[in-house]
Amino acid sequence: MKTDFIRKPLSLPSEAWINEQLAYYGGPAVIPEDSRKTTFPSITKEDIVQMLVSIQQSPEEVIHEFTEKYRSYVGANYAIATASGTSSLHLALVGVGVQPGDEVIVPAFTFIATAQAVVAAKAIPVFVDIDPLTYNLNPALVEQAITARTKVIMPVHVHGLPADLAQLRALADKHKLRLVEDASHAHSASIGGQLCGSIGDGAGQSLMADKNFPVGGEGGIAFFKERENYERALSFLQETGIDYRMSWIAAAFGISQLDRLPYYDAIRARNASYLTNILAQTKLFKGPHVPEGHKHSYNMYRIKLDLEAAGLGDLPDYQVKEAIQELASSEGVFAREWQNVPIPGHLPFQNRKGFGRGYPFTLSERKDFGYHIDRFPATLSMLRSTLTICRELRSPIEYERIAAYALAFQKIDANPAIIRELVLQNTAAKKSYERDARLG
Amino acid sequence: MAHTTIITAPEKVTPVIKKEQYFSLSFVLSRVLNSGVIMSIEKNESELKGLEKSIGKLTQSKYVSLFNSYTGAVHAALWGQDIVHGSLTRLEEASEQDQRFASWLGIGLVTDSDVQQGFDKVTVTWDSLPRIEQELQPKLHKSPVLVLDFTELGFGPCASISVNDESIWTKAERLKIFGAFDLKTMWTQEEAEPDIQPGAQFNYRLSPLVAACVKLSLLRRNSGYEN
Repeated sequence: MKTDFIRKPLSLPSEAWINEQLAYYGGPAVIPEDSRKTTFPSITKEDIVQMLVSIQQSPEEVIHEFTEKYRSYVGANYAIATASGTSSLHLALVGVGVQPGDEVIVPAFTFIATAQAVVAAKAIPVFVDIDPLTYNLNPALVEQAITARTKVIMPVHVHGLPADLAQLRALADKHKLRLVEDASHAHSASIGGQLCGSIGDGAGQSLMADKNFPVGGEGGIAFFKERENYERALSFLQETGIDYRMSWIAAAFGISQLDRLPYYDAIRARNASYLTNILAQTKLFKGPHVPEGHKHSYNMYRIKLDLEAAGLGDLPDYQVKEAIQELASSEGVFAREWQNVPIPGHLPFQNRKGFGRGYPFTLSERKDFGYHIDRFPATLSMLRSTLTICRELRSPIEYERIAAYALAFQKIDANPAIIRELVLQNTAAKKSYERDARLG
Repeated sequence: MAHTTIITAPEKVTPVIKKEQYFSLSFVLSRVLNSGVIMSIEKNESELKGLEKSIGKLTQSKYVSLFNSYTGAVHAALWGQDIVHGSLTRLEEASEQDQRFASWLGIGLVTDSDVQQGFDKVTVTWDSLPRIEQELQPKLHKSPVLVLDFTELGFGPCASISVNDESIWTKAERLKIFGAFDLKTMWTQEEAEPDIQPGAQFNYRLSPLVAACVKLSLLRRNSGYEN
């Protein structure tokens, strides 16, 4: 039987490690090569027992049990479990009334599925730049993007930080638009105690295995505030014949995993808080900004590089980022790019083939769809000057691991001269968005 | 008041698993769970490749692509042949679901026998599993794409397309978010097939867990009931 059990315990970290030679130059890595693995989701006997129970029920019953349990947890009025996060977003958009040719405002920085779900709804994605502090859709720029064709504002709670839904709701109400959340990173994230997924008119959420709340493999869920929207989504499935059903195996896992979500959330919050506090003591690194009243779920943890404070302000930011990425990786911390090109710069939006022959983009009267990446300077700046920790923080990792991550950043922070040296050696480094777009 | 409704695909109501199938189903599941298959994307990609290989052998085809639903496979079968929004195609025995889905894709269905058939399809069930070779025989190489629907095995929606034309497979894969070419780009940051660029993409990605169950069912199809 294969096991995910991590057999080799990490040593308790020591602050003396900060002064060791960098692993990149042959010193001891903060996290040794054979101790870098993290595992998630954790499969326990509860999952296996749930599977044994579920196998004796009809698939419909299992999926219904899961859907109802999670809907109630989120506090949404109506829910439909789906095969993926993308299909849940598609259903949410159709449910709130999106029609072919309508425009949907989405952030330029997100996973491609946000915008592809808009195209799936036969609507036109209109991209808006992000807030440079939160990396979420910038409400101050949304109003300029609203046209007579706009139907929905669809913010994304990027990395698990809730978007500014209060301001976006005010804009939606003012212009009689619908508000749909892409809550795929934001399981248990909340604003004023209200969980993401239950705040907008509709919401979609991914439940795939890489998410904070994983079902068994792939899955998603669409939420609705109003019964009419929920019923419209169900009718759409009937009318089109599209099979977006979740596998009952995934649902069975969801039933048992949901009981452990608050535990996972608490560990993640504790670890993120620990890391943010340590990074605040460095010159070079800053943790995520979390506005008052917002609860971040830390599906990912994006670190901002402050080149000025570290005395590296004269160097190109993207080259410094690349040097730090190499140093961190040598120390055993996989801090990396998550997304390298604003979504409008990805091929499906540059070419606009859609369903074929350019549909639904052909429904638009636009000559310029606004998909040139230069229109998103805050996103470009963020891509040049930040690094992301993904699954390494997502797992409910132990204290010694998060402490070791923090020490690795402290060790790099203590060596600005070496960063400078690396940058000067590697002048061939490109800006991330000058390379081909990658999905994750 | 119930706030949720189960999505039921039109005309394809998932059959309640028969009691005599419980053992087969639980045998497969327990074997798969003990193999450590849970995660998705790259970690359990081998499960997807394993199923593709098994289907390739059965259908005597060079290329196989997997989907998390029958309609996903239908979409890919058509998209792979450039039968897209505004195109016409012919389907033998088009079900009500086929007709509705084609209509949603913006594809017209015709009965003119001069028009090449869009795809052939075979539904795989526990009853048909032991004689799948015979079921497949009359459908092989009849049209460029063969759609296999494994949904009625009971693990969840699951289907595949089998083709011999690489370009059909390539385009079908590019229809999927995180299809083979997206995954390549993800690691290399170089477009794997710049000439075949994606349009609308859907997350039709099959869960490795479901794939592993279907694969094991196919591999053990002649074992009868385990004891």
